[in-house]
Amino acid sequence: MSLLEITDLAISAGDLPLVDGVTLDIQAGEIVALVGESGSGKSLTALSVIGLLGEGLDITRGQIRFDGATYLGAEAQDMARIRGRDLSMIFQEPVSSLNPLMPIGAQVAESLIAHGVTSASAAKDAAIDMLDRVGIPDPKRRAEQLPAELSGGMCQRVMIAAALISQPRLLIADEPTTALDVTIQAQILDLIADLAQEDGTAVLMITHDMGIVAEMADRVCVMYGGRVVEQGAVDAIFSAPRHPYTSMLLRTIPRLDHPPKQELFAILGNVPSPKNWPQGCRFKTRCDRQSTACDIAPVLTGDYHHRTACFHPLSEM
Amino acid sequence: MTALLELQDLKVHWPGRGAGWGNAVPVTRAVDGVSLTIQVGETVAVVGESGCGKSTTGNAALGLAPITDGKIFFDGRDLSLLSKQERRDLWQEMQVVFQDPVAALNPRLTVARAIAEPLVIHGWSAAHVAKRVDELMALVGLNADQRDRRPMALSGGQRQRVVIARALALSPRLVICDEPVSALDVSIQSQILNLLLRLQRELGLSYLFISHDLSVVRHIADRVCVMYLGVIVEEGPTAEVFARPQHPYTQALLSAIPRPDIVRRGRKERILLQGDLPSPLAPPKGCPFASRCIKAQAACNRSRPPLEQRAAHRLVRCFYPNSV
Repeated sequence: MSLLEITDLAISAGDLPLVDGVTLDIQAGEIVALVGESGSGKSLTALSVIGLLGEGLDITRGQIRFDGATYLGAEAQDMARIRGRDLSMIFQEPVSSLNPLMPIGAQVAESLIAHGVTSASAAKDAAIDMLDRVGIPDPKRRAEQLPAELSGGMCQRVMIAAALISQPRLLIADEPTTALDVTIQAQILDLIADLAQEDGTAVLMITHDMGIVAEMADRVCVMYGGRVVEQGAVDAIFSAPRHPYTSMLLRTIPRLDHPPKQELFAILGNVPSPKNWPQGCRFKTRCDRQSTACDIAPVLTGDYHHRTACFHPLSEM
Repeated sequence: MTALLELQDLKVHWPGRGAGWGNAVPVTRAVDGVSLTIQVGETVAVVGESGCGKSTTGNAALGLAPITDGKIFFDGRDLSLLSKQERRDLWQEMQVVFQDPVAALNPRLTVARAIAEPLVIHGWSAAHVAKRVDELMALVGLNADQRDRRPMALSGGQRQRVVIARALALSPRLVICDEPVSALDVSIQSQILNLLLRLQRELGLSYLFISHDLSVVRHIADRVCVMYLGVIVEEGPTAEVFARPQHPYTQALLSAIPRPDIVRRGRKERILLQGDLPSPLAPPKGCPFASRCIKAQAACNRSRPPLEQRAAHRLVRCFYPNSV
């Protein structure tokens, strides 16, 4: 049984569909990357899992099951019970996600105390241990400091410590390293991978960086225009992408082993906003393989290892 | 041959927080002695992590940051010796493209008016302006029917094209590009990089390309300067530096790039750095990188290594660099 199962999830803002039929599952201990550009619906999908969709956004269809129990539309109370304990989230901007007036140790300990797991003093000790584990030097002294006294990379590690202290079974990481420098990013990614391996935590990693996907994830789910266009094992998708969007995306990235100053492959057109999504396949206006068949929305076909939503997929070489 | 742009031992020091309270004024050494040259038609990239001084270097060249010490030459002319009017004329030849096109464009101006603005300021006639705007829009790949759109009605890539068209309005010879594709969607970045490369070929432009994205820099730059804590730690032809980095910081930086390549999976060859960048308020007396360097020896903390030539066209600031 999967730890998390999302089935046919749709999210709208009023009449405007933003996520349209996402199906995704994660096993314990697995790292799944959710990839897409702005407006693809990747962050909304993640927020709906943790019950943090903003005002004016509604789930209009579908099901989310965690550990076998449906909790979509669950009472706010039930949601609060598992959020922060079984389910945690790391956001992109550590500085805006931490309370500027609260010592970092107390912020890390907060979820343990809120869930009544331990006493306040035991929680404090646990927080210092956790800060040490995420690589904060001198954690005892640092625990008393405010976020403003720490660098951005350290704040991100504090947020990871706060997310992991209750040993969640699922960690959702929304672009956890986008705001960080590449050497700090490497530290944070290694940390997440180690924790997933040691504690068996499942990770849903939202990113637009195909490099991070290739190095971190077991499986990947590529979104475009609010829908999943391709999903499966990272090896399968990187070695033989079948959806034209995935294939083109992989070809546009400048690579370290390509000849410099040559024209890069470019995808024509622009990322459409939800108001301007085309009928049928949403990538068709930028696709070189489109036909009249694409006026109807394709559904995902294939097996667990590799699924694609395209009428004209690239065949395996 | 005279370089188009030459920075000589450029320093930009900002008064730090706590200034003016009777204490010794702390100084942030944002740029602490940077020398670099850009030839006509050349792209020189400045790379490094946040706080290393790469953007301040670009801003100082543009006259947007006060220079504490050092000299800037444009086409052989010392900028500090020019009159106000001469400097203003010179700015026609040096333009900038910033990271965020939303912030760079006035939301109330249409595409045509935004592009026309520098021309109007420089006293072009209405007829000439209209003709030049058409030329520029075609040059950067904007459709004529987008003339009367406002920035919010455009996509991110189109907005950056408007910013580029405006930068090119007065036919500059040097464009300073500060993270020009970082705010764009992945599928749009290659369009803009191709545009920058084509404009360089067609117009003979020189670029000072400031970026933290090493894959992009590897693709677009002829030479690269790696900065750390206000100084250049390594400089050389891009292909050389990427193939055989000599400074331990460059090595760590390059090893940390996540590569979209499953062949490398599981083979972690990253050099993991410990700790964070030291504060530019109190840079170490010795090598600025010593506190995070895996090769640091006692000598590294005693004095600062000079930027020395280690091979043809290769400069490295390290006592113990890798030999080529």
